[in-house]
Amino acid sequence: MSVLRFENVSKQYPGGHEALADVSFEIAQGEMLFVTGHSGAGKSTLLKLIHLSERPSRGAVVFGGKNLLKVRGGRVPLHRRDVGAVYQDHRLLADRSVAENVALPLILRGDRRADIGKRVREVLARLGLGHREKALPSQLSAGEQQRVGIARAIVAEPMLLVADEPTGNLDPTLAAEIMSLFASMPERGTSVLVVSHDLALIKRMKKRVLILDHGKLMDDISPADLAE
Amino acid sequence: MTAQSQANTAAAGPRSGFGIWLDQHLYSFVASLGRVLRRPWTTLLTIGVMAVALALPLGLGLALDNLRHFAGSVEQSREIDLFLKPDIDVPRAQALAAELRSRGDVAKVEVRTPDEGLAEFRARSGLGDAIGALEENPLPCLLIVTPREASSTLVAALERLPETGLVQHDEAWRKRLQGWLGFGARLAWVLAALFGLGALLVVGNTVRLDIQSRREEIGVLQLLGATDGFIRRPFIYLGAWYGLVAGALALGLLFAAEYALREPLQALAESYGSGFALSGVDPLRAAGFLLAATVIGWLGAWLVTGHFLRQTRPTET
Repeated sequence: MSVLRFENVSKQYPGGHEALADVSFEIAQGEMLFVTGHSGAGKSTLLKLIHLSERPSRGAVVFGGKNLLKVRGGRVPLHRRDVGAVYQDHRLLADRSVAENVALPLILRGDRRADIGKRVREVLARLGLGHREKALPSQLSAGEQQRVGIARAIVAEPMLLVADEPTGNLDPTLAAEIMSLFASMPERGTSVLVVSHDLALIKRMKKRVLILDHGKLMDDISPADLAE
Repeated sequence: MTAQSQANTAAAGPRSGFGIWLDQHLYSFVASLGRVLRRPWTTLLTIGVMAVALALPLGLGLALDNLRHFAGSVEQSREIDLFLKPDIDVPRAQALAAELRSRGDVAKVEVRTPDEGLAEFRARSGLGDAIGALEENPLPCLLIVTPREASSTLVAALERLPETGLVQHDEAWRKRLQGWLGFGARLAWVLAALFGLGALLVVGNTVRLDIQSRREEIGVLQLLGATDGFIRRPFIYLGAWYGLVAGALALGLLFAAEYALREPLQALAESYGSGFALSGVDPLRAAGFLLAATVIGWLGAWLVTGHFLRQTRPTET
Protein backbone atom coordinates (compact mmCIF):
# COMPACT_ATOMS: atom_id res chain seq x y z
CA MET A 1 0.00 0.00 0.00
CA SER A 2 1.42 3.39 -0.95
CA VAL A 3 1.60 6.19 1.59
CA LEU A 4 2.48 8.93 -0.88
CA ARG A 5 2.03 9.07 -4.65
CA PHE A 6 3.03 11.86 -7.02
CA GLU A 7 1.07 11.57 -10.28
CA ASN A 8 2.57 13.68 -13.09
CA VAL A 9 3.03 16.59 -10.74
CA SER A 10 4.20 19.96 -12.05
CA LYS A 11 4.62 23.14 -10.11
CA GLN A 12 4.99 26.50 -11.75
CA TYR A 13 5.48 29.56 -9.53
CA PRO A 14 4.05 32.96 -10.36
CA GLY A 15 6.59 34.48 -12.73
CA GLY A 16 6.82 31.31 -14.79
CA HIS A 17 9.61 29.36 -13.04
CA GLU A 18 8.81 25.65 -13.28
CA ALA A 19 10.13 24.03 -10.09
CA LEU A 20 8.77 20.54 -10.81
CA ALA A 21 7.90 19.06 -14.20
CA ASP A 22 5.77 15.96 -14.60
CA VAL A 23 7.15 14.13 -11.57
CA SER A 24 5.70 10.70 -10.70
CA PHE A 25 6.75 8.30 -7.95
CA GLU A 26 5.31 6.57 -4.93
CA ILE A 27 6.45 5.57 -1.44
CA ALA A 28 5.19 2.35 0.11
CA GLN A 29 4.26 2.04 3.77
CA GLY A 30 7.38 1.38 5.83
CA GLU A 31 9.72 2.34 2.99
CA MET A 32 12.69 4.69 3.35
CA LEU A 33 14.02 6.63 0.38
CA PHE A 34 16.31 9.51 -0.42
CA VAL A 35 15.70 12.44 -2.75
CA THR A 36 18.80 14.15 -4.05
CA GLY A 37 19.78 16.75 -6.60
CA HIS A 38 21.59 20.03 -7.00
CA SER A 39 20.36 23.36 -5.76
CA GLY A 40 17.21 24.36 -7.64
CA ALA A 41 16.45 20.76 -8.58
CA GLY A 42 12.99 20.99 -6.99
CA LYS A 43 13.63 19.20 -3.68
CA SER A 44 12.20 21.98 -1.51
CA THR A 45 9.15 22.36 -3.73
CA LEU A 46 8.55 18.63 -3.45
CA LEU A 47 8.54 18.93 0.35
CA LYS A 48 6.26 21.98 0.22
CA LEU A 49 3.76 20.05 -1.90
CA ILE A 50 3.80 17.16 0.60
CA HIS A 51 3.28 19.63 3.44
CA LEU A 52 0.61 21.56 1.57
CA SER A 53 2.59 24.78 1.86
CA GLU A 54 2.16 24.87 -1.91
CA ARG A 55 -0.25 23.21 -4.31
CA PRO A 56 0.65 21.58 -7.64
CA SER A 57 -0.08 23.43 -10.87
CA ARG A 58 -0.83 20.12 -12.60
CA GLY A 59 -1.09 16.49 -11.57
CA ALA A 60 -2.04 15.04 -8.20
CA VAL A 61 -0.33 14.36 -4.88
CA VAL A 62 -2.08 11.45 -3.19
CA PHE A 63 -1.37 10.90 0.50
CA GLY A 64 -2.85 7.94 2.37
CA GLY A 65 -5.24 7.41 -0.57
CA LYS A 66 -6.44 11.03 -0.43
CA ASN A 67 -5.88 13.57 -3.21
CA LEU A 68 -4.30 16.56 -1.46
CA LEU A 69 -5.92 18.94 -3.95
CA LYS A 70 -9.17 18.24 -2.13
CA VAL A 71 -7.66 19.05 1.26
CA ARG A 72 -8.59 22.68 1.91
CA GLY A 73 -8.99 25.20 4.71
CA GLY A 74 -9.31 23.63 8.14
CA ARG A 75 -8.29 20.16 6.83
CA VAL A 76 -4.75 21.33 5.97
CA PRO A 77 -3.50 21.27 9.61
CA LEU A 78 -5.00 17.79 10.06
CA HIS A 79 -3.06 16.56 7.02
CA ARG A 80 0.17 18.10 8.37
CA ARG A 81 -0.19 16.12 11.59
CA ASP A 82 0.21 12.93 9.54
CA VAL A 83 3.56 14.15 8.19
CA GLY A 84 6.45 14.41 10.65
CA ALA A 85 9.13 16.88 9.55
CA VAL A 86 12.80 17.20 10.45
CA TYR A 87 14.75 20.24 9.33
CA GLN A 88 18.44 21.03 8.97
CA ASP A 89 17.96 24.07 11.27
CA HIS A 90 15.87 22.00 13.73
CA ARG A 91 13.17 24.71 14.06
CA LEU A 92 12.76 24.16 17.79
CA LEU A 93 10.90 26.72 19.89
CA ALA A 94 13.65 28.53 21.75
CA ASP A 95 11.64 29.38 24.87
CA ARG A 96 10.25 25.89 25.42
CA SER A 97 12.04 22.99 27.04
CA VAL A 98 12.98 19.84 25.19
CA ALA A 99 9.93 18.02 26.58
CA GLU A 100 7.61 20.92 25.68
CA ASN A 101 8.95 21.00 22.12
CA VAL A 102 8.50 17.29 21.69
CA ALA A 103 5.00 17.39 23.20
CA LEU A 104 3.66 19.90 20.64
CA PRO A 105 2.32 17.42 18.04
CA LEU A 106 0.51 15.53 20.81
CA ILE A 107 -0.99 18.73 22.24
CA LEU A 108 -2.15 19.67 18.75
CA ARG A 109 -3.69 16.23 18.34
CA GLY A 110 -5.54 16.71 21.62
CA ASP A 111 -3.99 13.87 23.64
CA ARG A 112 -4.48 13.71 27.41
CA ARG A 113 -1.80 15.44 29.47
CA ALA A 114 -0.85 12.27 31.31
CA ASP A 115 -0.53 10.36 28.01
CA ILE A 116 1.53 13.19 26.54
CA GLY A 117 4.02 13.12 29.42
CA LYS A 118 4.40 9.36 29.21
CA ARG A 119 4.81 9.31 25.44
CA VAL A 120 7.31 12.21 25.44
CA ARG A 121 9.47 10.52 28.08
CA GLU A 122 9.34 7.28 26.10
CA VAL A 123 10.50 8.91 22.85
CA LEU A 124 13.18 11.02 24.54
CA ALA A 125 14.55 7.90 26.24
CA ARG A 126 14.57 6.10 22.90
CA LEU A 127 16.64 8.91 21.38
CA GLY A 128 19.01 9.09 24.34
CA LEU A 129 17.63 12.43 25.57
CA GLY A 130 15.92 11.25 28.73
CA HIS A 131 18.24 13.33 30.92
CA ARG A 132 17.73 16.52 28.86
CA GLU A 133 13.95 16.89 28.94
CA LYS A 134 14.00 20.10 30.99
CA ALA A 135 16.83 21.76 29.04
CA LEU A 136 16.20 24.63 26.61
CA PRO A 137 17.29 24.10 22.99
CA SER A 138 20.07 26.68 23.43
CA GLN A 139 21.63 24.46 26.12
CA LEU A 140 21.96 21.50 23.72
CA SER A 141 24.64 20.51 21.23
CA ALA A 142 23.81 20.50 17.50
CA GLY A 143 23.44 16.72 17.55
CA GLU A 144 21.12 16.84 20.55
CA GLN A 145 19.03 19.57 18.94
CA GLN A 146 18.67 17.45 15.82
CA ARG A 147 17.59 14.48 17.93
CA VAL A 148 14.99 16.67 19.65
CA GLY A 149 13.74 17.66 16.19
CA ILE A 150 13.47 13.98 15.28
CA ALA A 151 11.75 13.18 18.58
CA ARG A 152 9.16 15.89 17.84
CA ALA A 153 8.67 14.55 14.31
CA ILE A 154 8.08 10.95 15.38
CA VAL A 155 6.32 11.38 18.73
CA ALA A 156 2.85 11.25 17.15
CA GLU A 157 3.93 8.34 14.91
CA PRO A 158 3.08 9.99 11.61
CA MET A 159 2.44 8.01 8.43
CA LEU A 160 5.36 9.74 6.74
CA LEU A 161 8.52 11.33 8.07
CA VAL A 162 10.18 13.88 5.80
CA ALA A 163 13.65 15.17 6.60
CA ASP A 164 15.18 18.13 4.81
CA GLU A 165 19.01 17.88 4.88
CA PRO A 166 18.86 16.48 8.42
CA THR A 167 22.61 15.89 8.67
CA GLY A 168 23.76 19.07 6.95
CA ASN A 169 25.36 20.58 10.04
CA LEU A 170 26.51 17.40 11.74
CA ASP A 171 29.86 15.64 11.81
CA PRO A 172 30.02 12.23 10.08
CA THR A 173 29.64 10.21 13.29
CA LEU A 174 26.52 12.11 14.35
CA ALA A 175 25.17 12.01 10.80
CA ALA A 176 25.50 8.22 10.77
CA GLU A 177 23.79 8.03 14.15
CA ILE A 178 20.86 10.16 12.93
CA MET A 179 20.57 8.09 9.74
CA SER A 180 20.43 4.86 11.68
CA LEU A 181 17.58 6.39 13.68
CA PHE A 182 15.70 7.12 10.45
CA ALA A 183 16.42 3.62 9.20
CA SER A 184 14.71 2.18 12.28
CA MET A 185 11.45 4.11 11.63
CA PRO A 186 10.05 1.83 8.94
CA GLU A 187 10.03 -1.04 11.46
CA ARG A 188 7.28 0.87 13.30
CA GLY A 189 5.30 1.47 10.11
CA THR A 190 6.48 5.01 9.38
CA SER A 191 7.70 5.73 5.85
CA VAL A 192 10.71 8.01 5.59
CA LEU A 193 11.68 10.47 2.87
CA VAL A 194 15.07 12.12 3.33
CA VAL A 195 16.19 15.02 1.16
CA SER A 196 19.98 15.15 1.06
CA HIS A 197 22.81 16.05 -1.27
CA ASP A 198 25.35 14.02 0.71
CA LEU A 199 25.97 11.29 -1.88
CA ALA A 200 28.46 9.40 0.27
CA LEU A 201 25.92 9.11 3.04
CA ILE A 202 23.19 8.08 0.60
CA LYS A 203 25.39 5.34 -0.83
CA ARG A 204 26.20 4.03 2.64
CA MET A 205 22.51 3.76 3.56
CA LYS A 206 21.69 1.50 0.57
CA LYS A 207 18.11 2.73 0.19
CA ARG A 208 16.04 3.77 -2.82
CA VAL A 209 17.13 7.13 -4.30
CA LEU A 210 15.21 9.63 -6.46
CA ILE A 211 17.39 12.04 -8.42
CA LEU A 212 15.90 15.39 -9.36
CA ASP A 213 17.41 17.83 -11.83
CA HIS A 214 15.85 21.12 -12.90
CA GLY A 215 12.47 19.95 -11.67
CA LYS A 216 12.51 16.64 -13.52
CA LEU A 217 12.79 13.19 -11.97
CA MET A 218 15.93 11.94 -13.75
CA ASP A 219 16.30 8.59 -12.02
CA ASP A 220 14.68 6.29 -9.48
CA ILE A 221 17.40 3.96 -8.23
CA SER A 222 16.50 0.87 -6.22
CA PRO A 223 18.72 -0.35 -3.34
CA ALA A 224 19.85 -3.27 -5.49
CA ASP A 225 20.91 -0.97 -8.34
CA LEU A 226 22.68 1.29 -5.85
CA ALA A 227 24.70 -1.65 -4.55
CA GLU A 228 25.96 -2.32 -8.09
CA MET B 1 -1.34 8.04 12.01
CA THR B 2 0.45 4.68 11.82
CA ALA B 3 -1.11 1.43 13.08
CA GLN B 4 1.14 1.67 16.13
CA SER B 5 -0.06 5.19 16.83
CA GLN B 6 -3.70 4.16 16.40
CA ALA B 7 -3.13 1.34 18.88
CA ASN B 8 -1.62 3.80 21.36
CA THR B 9 -4.58 6.17 20.98
CA ALA B 10 -7.07 3.34 21.34
CA ALA B 11 -5.35 2.15 24.51
CA ALA B 12 -5.54 5.64 25.97
CA GLY B 13 -9.30 5.71 25.31
CA PRO B 14 -11.34 8.13 23.21
CA ARG B 15 -11.34 11.84 24.16
CA SER B 16 -14.34 14.06 23.99
CA GLY B 17 -14.17 17.12 21.74
CA PHE B 18 -14.92 19.25 24.80
CA GLY B 19 -11.96 17.78 26.71
CA ILE B 20 -9.60 18.59 23.83
CA TRP B 21 -11.10 22.08 23.49
CA LEU B 22 -10.73 22.73 27.21
CA ASP B 23 -7.13 21.46 27.29
CA GLN B 24 -6.11 23.59 24.32
CA HIS B 25 -7.79 26.67 25.81
CA LEU B 26 -5.97 26.05 29.08
CA TYR B 27 -2.71 25.73 27.16
CA SER B 28 -3.37 29.04 25.33
CA PHE B 29 -4.47 30.73 28.56
CA VAL B 30 -1.24 29.80 30.35
CA ALA B 31 0.87 30.63 27.26
CA SER B 32 -0.70 34.10 27.01
CA LEU B 33 -0.09 34.80 30.70
CA GLY B 34 3.52 33.77 30.22
CA ARG B 35 3.85 36.27 27.36
CA VAL B 36 2.39 39.07 29.49
CA LEU B 37 4.78 38.35 32.37
CA ARG B 38 7.86 37.81 30.19
CA ARG B 39 7.69 41.38 28.84
CA PRO B 40 6.62 43.55 31.76
CA TRP B 41 7.62 46.92 30.24
CA THR B 42 5.83 46.39 26.96
CA THR B 43 2.82 45.14 28.89
CA LEU B 44 2.86 48.12 31.25
CA LEU B 45 3.15 50.64 28.42
CA THR B 46 0.36 49.05 26.40
CA ILE B 47 -1.90 48.77 29.40
CA GLY B 48 -1.09 52.33 30.52
CA VAL B 49 -1.96 53.87 27.14
CA MET B 50 -5.12 51.77 26.92
CA ALA B 51 -6.14 52.67 30.47
CA VAL B 52 -5.89 56.41 29.81
CA ALA B 53 -7.79 56.05 26.54
CA LEU B 54 -10.53 54.10 28.31
CA ALA B 55 -10.65 56.32 31.41
CA LEU B 56 -11.28 59.56 29.48
CA PRO B 57 -14.73 58.78 28.02
CA LEU B 58 -15.79 56.96 31.20
CA GLY B 59 -14.69 59.96 33.26
CA LEU B 60 -16.63 62.33 31.01
CA GLY B 61 -19.67 60.07 31.27
CA LEU B 62 -19.42 60.12 35.05
CA ALA B 63 -19.06 63.92 35.13
CA LEU B 64 -22.17 64.23 32.97
CA ASP B 65 -24.09 61.84 35.18
CA ASN B 66 -23.23 63.95 38.21
CA LEU B 67 -24.24 67.11 36.37
CA ARG B 68 -27.50 65.46 35.31
CA HIS B 69 -28.09 64.38 38.90
CA PHE B 70 -27.52 67.97 40.02
CA ALA B 71 -29.69 69.36 37.22
CA GLY B 72 -32.42 66.88 38.13
CA SER B 73 -32.83 68.42 41.55
CA VAL B 74 -32.97 71.87 39.96
CA GLU B 75 -35.60 70.70 37.50
CA GLN B 76 -37.77 69.24 40.22
CA SER B 77 -38.07 72.69 41.86
CA ARG B 78 -40.59 74.28 39.57
CA GLU B 79 -41.16 77.29 41.83
CA ILE B 80 -41.79 80.72 40.37
CA ASP B 81 -40.31 83.61 42.34
CA LEU B 82 -42.69 86.59 42.30
CA PHE B 83 -40.97 89.72 43.60
CA LEU B 84 -43.59 92.34 44.46
CA LYS B 85 -43.17 96.08 43.97
CA PRO B 86 -41.32 97.78 46.90
CA ASP B 87 -44.45 99.65 48.01
CA ILE B 88 -46.49 96.48 48.55
CA ASP B 89 -46.64 95.76 52.27
CA VAL B 90 -46.84 92.39 54.01
CA PRO B 91 -50.67 92.33 54.59
CA ARG B 92 -51.23 93.07 50.89
CA ALA B 93 -48.73 90.40 49.96
CA GLN B 94 -50.54 87.87 52.17
CA ALA B 95 -53.89 88.84 50.60
CA LEU B 96 -52.40 88.36 47.13
CA ALA B 97 -51.03 84.98 48.20
CA ALA B 98 -54.52 83.92 49.32
CA GLU B 99 -55.95 85.01 45.94
CA LEU B 100 -53.33 83.01 44.10
CA ARG B 101 -53.92 79.89 46.24
CA SER B 102 -57.52 79.86 44.96
CA ARG B 103 -56.31 79.40 41.36
CA GLY B 104 -56.59 75.88 39.99
CA ASP B 105 -53.09 75.86 38.48
CA VAL B 106 -51.35 76.84 41.72
CA ALA B 107 -50.33 74.13 44.20
CA LYS B 108 -48.75 76.25 46.89
CA VAL B 109 -47.84 79.88 47.67
CA GLU B 110 -45.31 80.82 50.30
CA VAL B 111 -44.84 84.39 51.53
CA ARG B 112 -41.33 85.59 52.29
CA THR B 113 -41.42 88.98 54.06
CA PRO B 114 -38.63 91.57 53.52
CA ASP B 115 -37.35 90.86 57.06
CA GLU B 116 -37.19 87.12 56.44
CA GLY B 117 -35.48 87.75 53.14
CA LEU B 118 -32.90 90.00 54.73
CA ALA B 119 -32.19 87.48 57.52
CA GLU B 120 -31.66 84.71 54.96
CA PHE B 121 -29.44 86.93 52.84
CA ARG B 122 -27.41 87.89 55.90
CA ALA B 123 -26.92 84.22 56.83
CA ARG B 124 -25.95 83.06 53.35
CA SER B 125 -23.88 85.95 52.06
CA GLY B 126 -21.64 86.48 55.06
CA LEU B 127 -22.15 90.23 54.62
CA GLY B 128 -23.75 90.69 58.07
CA ASP B 129 -21.87 93.85 59.00
CA ALA B 130 -22.50 95.56 55.67
CA ILE B 131 -26.20 94.68 55.79
CA GLY B 132 -26.41 95.98 59.37
CA ALA B 133 -25.21 99.35 58.10
CA LEU B 134 -28.31 99.73 55.90
CA GLU B 135 -30.82 102.27 57.17
CA GLU B 136 -33.81 100.45 55.78
CA ASN B 137 -34.53 97.02 54.30
CA PRO B 138 -34.34 97.34 50.48
CA LEU B 139 -35.88 93.91 49.83
CA PRO B 140 -39.45 93.58 48.54
CA CYS B 141 -42.00 90.98 49.58
CA LEU B 142 -41.52 87.69 47.78
CA LEU B 143 -44.16 85.10 46.86
CA ILE B 144 -42.81 81.66 46.06
CA VAL B 145 -45.45 80.09 43.81
CA THR B 146 -45.40 76.36 43.15
CA PRO B 147 -47.50 75.53 40.08
CA ARG B 148 -49.40 72.25 39.79
CA GLU B 149 -47.57 71.65 36.49
CA ALA B 150 -45.13 73.58 34.33
CA SER B 151 -47.22 76.31 32.81
CA SER B 152 -46.31 79.41 30.83
CA THR B 153 -49.85 80.85 31.20
CA LEU B 154 -49.43 81.10 34.99
CA VAL B 155 -46.13 82.95 34.50
CA ALA B 156 -47.85 85.32 32.06
CA ALA B 157 -50.75 85.86 34.49
CA LEU B 158 -48.35 86.65 37.33
CA GLU B 159 -46.46 89.11 35.12
CA ARG B 160 -49.72 90.94 34.41
CA LEU B 161 -50.56 91.52 38.10
CA PRO B 162 -50.30 95.22 39.10
CA GLU B 163 -48.41 94.28 42.28
CA THR B 164 -45.69 92.43 40.32
CA GLY B 165 -42.19 93.86 40.29
CA LEU B 166 -40.32 90.87 38.78
CA VAL B 167 -41.15 87.25 37.90
CA GLN B 168 -38.22 84.88 37.96
CA HIS B 169 -38.80 81.53 36.34
CA ASP B 170 -35.95 79.09 35.44
CA GLU B 171 -37.62 77.18 32.62
CA ALA B 172 -35.55 78.70 29.81
CA TRP B 173 -32.37 78.20 31.79
CA ARG B 174 -33.34 74.55 32.47
CA LYS B 175 -34.04 73.99 28.78
CA ARG B 176 -30.60 75.32 27.93
CA LEU B 177 -29.01 73.09 30.58
CA GLN B 178 -30.88 70.09 29.18
CA GLY B 179 -29.53 70.95 25.74
CA TRP B 180 -25.98 71.09 27.06
CA LEU B 181 -26.44 67.80 28.92
CA GLY B 182 -27.78 66.15 25.78
CA PHE B 183 -24.83 67.47 23.80
CA GLY B 184 -22.42 66.32 26.53
CA ALA B 185 -23.93 62.83 26.53
CA ARG B 186 -23.53 62.58 22.76
CA LEU B 187 -19.98 63.92 23.03
CA ALA B 188 -19.21 61.25 25.65
CA TRP B 189 -20.41 58.54 23.25
CA VAL B 190 -18.39 59.98 20.36
CA LEU B 191 -15.29 60.15 22.58
CA ALA B 192 -15.97 56.63 23.85
CA ALA B 193 -16.10 55.40 20.23
CA LEU B 194 -12.92 57.28 19.27
CA PHE B 195 -10.92 56.31 22.33
CA GLY B 196 -12.30 52.76 22.13
CA LEU B 197 -11.01 52.60 18.56
CA GLY B 198 -7.71 53.98 19.79
CA ALA B 199 -7.50 51.30 22.48
CA LEU B 200 -8.34 48.66 19.87
CA LEU B 201 -5.53 49.92 17.63
CA VAL B 202 -3.08 49.96 20.55
CA VAL B 203 -3.85 46.30 21.30
CA GLY B 204 -3.79 45.44 17.61
CA ASN B 205 -0.39 47.04 17.17
CA THR B 206 1.05 45.36 20.26
CA VAL B 207 -0.26 41.97 19.15
CA ARG B 208 1.05 42.62 15.63
CA LEU B 209 4.53 43.25 17.05
CA ASP B 210 4.20 40.11 19.15
CA ILE B 211 3.22 38.13 16.06
CA GLN B 212 6.19 39.56 14.14
CA SER B 213 8.58 38.51 16.89
CA ARG B 214 7.02 35.04 16.92
CA ARG B 215 6.69 34.58 13.16
CA GLU B 216 9.15 31.73 13.14
CA GLU B 217 7.43 29.97 16.02
CA ILE B 218 4.05 30.35 14.31
CA GLY B 219 5.54 28.93 11.11
CA VAL B 220 6.80 25.89 13.03
CA LEU B 221 3.43 25.39 14.71
CA GLN B 222 1.69 25.59 11.33
CA LEU B 223 4.04 22.97 9.90
CA LEU B 224 3.31 20.73 12.89
CA GLY B 225 -0.40 20.95 12.12
CA ALA B 226 -1.65 23.73 14.36
CA THR B 227 -5.05 25.02 13.34
CA ASP B 228 -5.70 28.74 12.90
CA GLY B 229 -7.64 28.62 16.16
CA PHE B 230 -4.71 27.13 18.05
CA ILE B 231 -2.33 29.81 16.75
CA ARG B 232 -4.82 32.60 17.24
CA ARG B 233 -5.94 31.70 20.76
CA PRO B 234 -2.87 32.80 22.81
CA PHE B 235 -2.88 36.17 21.01
CA ILE B 236 -6.61 36.61 21.60
CA TYR B 237 -6.15 35.78 25.28
CA LEU B 238 -3.25 38.26 25.30
CA GLY B 239 -5.50 40.98 23.84
CA ALA B 240 -8.24 40.16 26.33
CA TRP B 241 -5.70 40.35 29.19
CA TYR B 242 -4.54 43.76 28.01
CA GLY B 243 -8.15 44.97 27.80
CA LEU B 244 -9.15 43.58 31.20
CA VAL B 245 -6.13 44.92 33.08
CA ALA B 246 -6.31 48.29 31.27
CA GLY B 247 -10.01 48.50 32.16
CA ALA B 248 -9.24 47.77 35.82
CA LEU B 249 -6.48 50.38 35.79
CA ALA B 250 -8.84 52.95 34.21
CA LEU B 251 -11.38 52.25 36.96
CA GLY B 252 -8.62 52.64 39.54
CA LEU B 253 -7.68 56.03 38.05
CA LEU B 254 -11.29 57.18 38.18
CA PHE B 255 -11.70 56.00 41.78
CA ALA B 256 -8.57 57.95 42.68
CA ALA B 257 -9.90 61.05 40.89
CA GLU B 258 -13.25 60.70 42.65
CA TYR B 259 -11.50 60.33 46.02
CA ALA B 260 -9.44 63.45 45.35
CA LEU B 261 -12.44 65.56 44.27
CA ARG B 262 -15.15 64.30 46.63
CA GLU B 263 -14.26 66.32 49.73
CA PRO B 264 -13.59 69.76 48.18
CA LEU B 265 -16.69 69.46 45.99
CA GLN B 266 -18.84 68.52 48.95
CA ALA B 267 -17.50 71.51 50.88
CA LEU B 268 -18.26 73.74 47.90
CA ALA B 269 -21.81 72.38 47.61
CA GLU B 270 -22.39 72.84 51.34
CA SER B 271 -21.33 76.48 51.12
CA TYR B 272 -24.24 76.94 48.67
CA GLY B 273 -26.59 75.10 51.02
CA SER B 274 -26.72 72.09 48.72
CA GLY B 275 -26.47 68.47 49.82
CA PHE B 276 -25.03 67.43 46.45
CA ALA B 277 -22.48 64.60 46.68
CA LEU B 278 -20.26 63.23 43.91
CA SER B 279 -21.35 59.79 42.77
CA GLY B 280 -18.76 57.34 41.40
CA VAL B 281 -18.90 54.21 39.24
CA ASP B 282 -21.52 51.77 40.48
CA PRO B 283 -20.61 48.04 40.51
CA LEU B 284 -22.86 47.17 37.55
CA ARG B 285 -21.38 49.91 35.41
CA ALA B 286 -17.85 48.92 36.47
CA ALA B 287 -18.55 45.31 35.45
CA GLY B 288 -19.95 46.45 32.09
CA PHE B 289 -16.93 48.68 31.56
CA LEU B 290 -14.50 45.84 32.32
CA LEU B 291 -16.38 43.59 29.93
CA ALA B 292 -16.28 46.26 27.19
CA ALA B 293 -12.53 46.81 27.74
CA THR B 294 -11.91 43.05 27.53
CA VAL B 295 -13.94 42.81 24.34
CA ILE B 296 -11.96 45.71 22.81
CA GLY B 297 -8.67 43.91 23.59
CA TRP B 298 -10.02 40.62 22.30
CA LEU B 299 -11.34 42.21 19.10
CA GLY B 300 -8.07 44.05 18.36
CA ALA B 301 -6.09 40.81 18.70
CA TRP B 302 -8.66 38.84 16.70
CA LEU B 303 -8.52 41.25 13.76
CA VAL B 304 -4.72 41.35 13.62
CA THR B 305 -4.22 37.58 13.93
CA GLY B 306 -6.92 36.99 11.33
CA HIS B 307 -5.09 39.26 8.89
CA PHE B 308 -1.79 37.50 9.59
CA LEU B 309 -3.24 34.00 9.20
CA ARG B 310 -4.85 34.91 5.87
CA GLN B 311 -1.38 35.81 4.59
CA THR B 312 0.04 32.40 5.51
CA ARG B 313 -2.44 30.25 3.59
CA PRO B 314 -0.93 27.82 1.01
CA THR B 315 -0.67 29.29 -2.50
CA GLU B 316 -3.71 28.25 -4.52
CA THR B 317 -2.78 27.75 -8.17
